[in-house]
Amino acid sequence: MSVFAASPGRRVPKWLARHETLLAIILVAALAGLGAFNNRFLTVDNLLNQGRLMTEIGLIALPMTFVIITGGIDLSVGAIVGLSAVMLGYSWKTFGFPLPLAIAFALAVGGLAGFVNGFVITRVKVPPLIMTIATLALYRGLAEGVSQARSVRGYPEWFYGLGQGEWLGVPTQLLLLVVLIVIAGVALDRTTFGRTLYAIGSNETAARFSALDVDRTKVVIYTLSGLASGLAAVVLVSRVTTTRMDMGMGYELDVIAAVVLGGTSIFGGAGTIWGTVIGLVMIQLLKNGLALTGVKGDATIVVIGVALIMSTLIASSLQRRRE
Amino acid sequence: MSAAATVPLLEVKGLEKSFPGVRALSGVSFDVRPGEVHALLGENGAGKSTLIKIVSGVYQPDAGEILIDGRAMRFAAPEDARRAGVATIYQELLLFPELTVAENIFLGHAPRASGGRIDWRAMTAKAEALLASLDIDDLAADQVVGSLSVGHRQRVEILRALSHDARILIMDEPTAALTEADVTRLFAIVRRLKERGVGIVYISHRLDELFQIADRVTVLRDGAWVGARDMADTNAAELVQMMVGRRIDNLFPKIAAPIGAPVLQARGLVRNPTTRDVSLEVRAGEIVGLAGLVGSGRSELAQVLFGITPAERGEIRLDGQAVRIDSPERARAGGIAYVPEDRGAQGLVRAMSVLHNFSLAALGGLSRLGFIDRAAERRMAEAGVLRFGVKTSSVDELAGRLSGGNQQKIVLGKWLANNPKLLILDEPTRGIDVGAKAEIHRLMCELAGEGVAILMISSELPEVLGMSDRVLVMREGRLVAEFDRAHATSQAVGAAMMGGDDPMERAA
Repeated sequence: MSVFAASPGRRVPKWLARHETLLAIILVAALAGLGAFNNRFLTVDNLLNQGRLMTEIGLIALPMTFVIITGGIDLSVGAIVGLSAVMLGYSWKTFGFPLPLAIAFALAVGGLAGFVNGFVITRVKVPPLIMTIATLALYRGLAEGVSQARSVRGYPEWFYGLGQGEWLGVPTQLLLLVVLIVIAGVALDRTTFGRTLYAIGSNETAARFSALDVDRTKVVIYTLSGLASGLAAVVLVSRVTTTRMDMGMGYELDVIAAVVLGGTSIFGGAGTIWGTVIGLVMIQLLKNGLALTGVKGDATIVVIGVALIMSTLIASSLQRRRE
Repeated sequence: MSAAATVPLLEVKGLEKSFPGVRALSGVSFDVRPGEVHALLGENGAGKSTLIKIVSGVYQPDAGEILIDGRAMRFAAPEDARRAGVATIYQELLLFPELTVAENIFLGHAPRASGGRIDWRAMTAKAEALLASLDIDDLAADQVVGSLSVGHRQRVEILRALSHDARILIMDEPTAALTEADVTRLFAIVRRLKERGVGIVYISHRLDELFQIADRVTVLRDGAWVGARDMADTNAAELVQMMVGRRIDNLFPKIAAPIGAPVLQARGLVRNPTTRDVSLEVRAGEIVGLAGLVGSGRSELAQVLFGITPAERGEIRLDGQAVRIDSPERARAGGIAYVPEDRGAQGLVRAMSVLHNFSLAALGGLSRLGFIDRAAERRMAEAGVLRFGVKTSSVDELAGRLSGGNQQKIVLGKWLANNPKLLILDEPTRGIDVGAKAEIHRLMCELAGEGVAILMISSELPEVLGMSDRVLVMREGRLVAEFDRAHATSQAVGAAMMGGDDPMERAA
């Protein structure tokens, strides 16, 4: 076709210049390096166990990718984990709900908490940063108030299957995470919902003027964020066998770090689920590998900070190349 | 006029200025004498802004001279123009809302006491003296500017110019945002400045104002000098003729299309404060031009019809059926398409590919159960690129990288993919080159031929007159006049746009 003139030659092949590709290369190199130092690191048992440990953050990172792609943010996820965990224990122990109902109740509370975020953000036009800082305090406060700082233990044995069990040798919750990763990845890449997220993040006004339902989409993603936090709470309680009101404290930062490290632009409009997954794995394995190699906790945080800054630099240089 | 004998304060000769792809000024000459108000008149894009930006040192001319008191000057920066005594008061006032009147006036050249400290007392005293010199008694030097009305803020800007000993004052649409009382007070200040020998360049679209305040007028059109007149020797009809008069017929080849049943019927639409009781009708195959000055409420009306800012009152019928349009989704479902005014901000997602822009408004039709049919999407975009002649290396190119005309074709194309019944075009050819413009006009005729009803907003009067079967004129949120094609002359439409006490409006 004559209208498609040859595109100007690029020095770097397109697939290689993708953020996710570069990150994956760095990840493999880091794993090889850490594995060479320590023979306990690159073992199936250790890696599967790390998968178990990163699931809670991973579950929340999926909808957080959606939220950040629209140019938003959700800082209340950690507090929703706390609130849902408390609701699970409280409704089971105090209300006497059967445990399956209590689980459903905890999920519903998480979803509702996220819906409230989305509703106020779209109707009252409160910036997401402000709204979710406010609900971070609000939801954590509710968790403290309801639980009265008392923890709940003694769940029935079957419940621990989710957080401690395995299926064909793979941790149960890791299977759950993998299924949700695939669903989230396909939703972002292949559906009108995903396309709408990118359009909102790139140019919200143009998205609105293109008759996309911007507000409803935003309410959906904040609700998903709350729901995923509720699910993470259930998995977490099942893994550690107890409910405490301070559960999920500080999760928001780990989640956002994974998403941003994975190449999602904090300004919106760009990002993928695959990038988030690589960012998530990278942080978890760096932490673990460094710990096994004898690096102290503080130094691990420094390394993760440096990785984040490097990733931002790579992302911005790629951005410049594109423009 | 005795002033003719004196040396002009400011004179420009043979100014030329080009921007990439546009000739903004060609051979423009102009002068201002002491104590004179010289008006600049012209349509949007006629070159007035470029001229005043050259005179105030923002742009450098490609050719031509600027003389102050008969001496040739070169303004490399706005600072140079200010030092030569030229001050410009732009439409958007450049004040600091947190500071006081006196601080704003003397920002950057405050009186100093020993040791470089600001002499606050001297500053207040000087500000008060300036206020008194213009008989302004309802404004105090220590008031915070953020609390002032627009009219008061404008006075602060004028005082700031005077504090620099400005002898040439350029005012760009100074009355655009003023109330009637403020206009009267502004004119009192202008007359006082005239008495002091200040020369004033006055830009306004409001003809009746010019007859009140200006001594002479220079008319520009398409970057060229059309003529200069003494206000006493001219009339509104002549000025409008000078502003818009050009051969229209050849430029805009309107092809007659059969006109069918009404597609859009709107009655009594109200959306305060910009849409006040608007009723209109657009028929199948008809192109209705919506004329009006910037700020008359045309785009706001379009956004009411498209559901972005839904009507508070009134009724909309599509194909005779009453509908409630309270969101763009509803408007789209009803068969309305809107190509917005601001391509970069409203029309296009610049960071997305041509492919994804093309499909953005048609995703519903391209997907099943929410999954986008990517092959169909690509086929649609590639067909659109061919149909509209979009020049791009591939549909995967970022839309923001294309030229303005090609971007506009994409925005138009994405809406036509929905096969709309009513197409609202808001400044469809603004800022794009002549070739792309002609293609968009040809496309409009083609669509009208297929029975699409078209409502076109344009600030370019020749385009409105050339393309429309019917012309509606909007002013201050109301439809004030309607002309069929035979009676839509540039004088009649232009006069209706300007309004005021023009006798022609009653005739029209």
